Amino acid sequence: MAEVVYFLCALTSLSCFVLLFRAWRGSGARLLFWSSMCFAGMTVNNTLLVLDKVVFPTEVDLGTWRLAVALAAVLLLVFGLVWEEE
Amino acid sequence: MDEMLMGAIAVASLVAGLFFFRFWRSSRDTFFLFFALSFWIEAANRVALTVLFGSEFEPVFYLVRIVAYGLIVVAILQKNRKRS
Repeated sequence: MAEVVYFLCALTSLSCFVLLFRAWRGSGARLLFWSSMCFAGMTVNNTLLVLDKVVFPTEVDLGTWRLAVALAAVLLLVFGLVWEEE
Repeated sequence: MDEMLMGAIAVASLVAGLFFFRFWRSSRDTFFLFFALSFWIEAANRVALTVLFGSEFEPVFYLVRIVAYGLIVVAILQKNRKRS
């Protein structure tokens, strides 16, 4: 059951990335570009989650890497939100 | 180290949510409200995950994460529907 949840995390974040990226290509709104970059990072984060918890549950601990990627992704978005204002 | 990263992610998510909340206030576009909610859920979820790290409930937090991401998907889909 937990494995399914981890897979779904990766899948939904990938969907967010694709939808946001396509919306940006369609409208040119730069906020959508930054949001899509954030979800690109989140997709990497959740892919690492699947690798960490499902594929290599005992061999490796990617915990810190996952957090570092997630932080970079959200900070990128915050930067974009500040940068694009007005 | 991990706790610090978790805290930083939570605060950054909270700030991103606040930005989207302000965009919603000035535009009244529900698209931004969905984004604000999503990032606030993610912020609260990160804090909860840190406090209860390693507990048997861990998968539940990832379920909450799917809900937060789902809000983004809903936001985009309803925007697309409005446009077409």
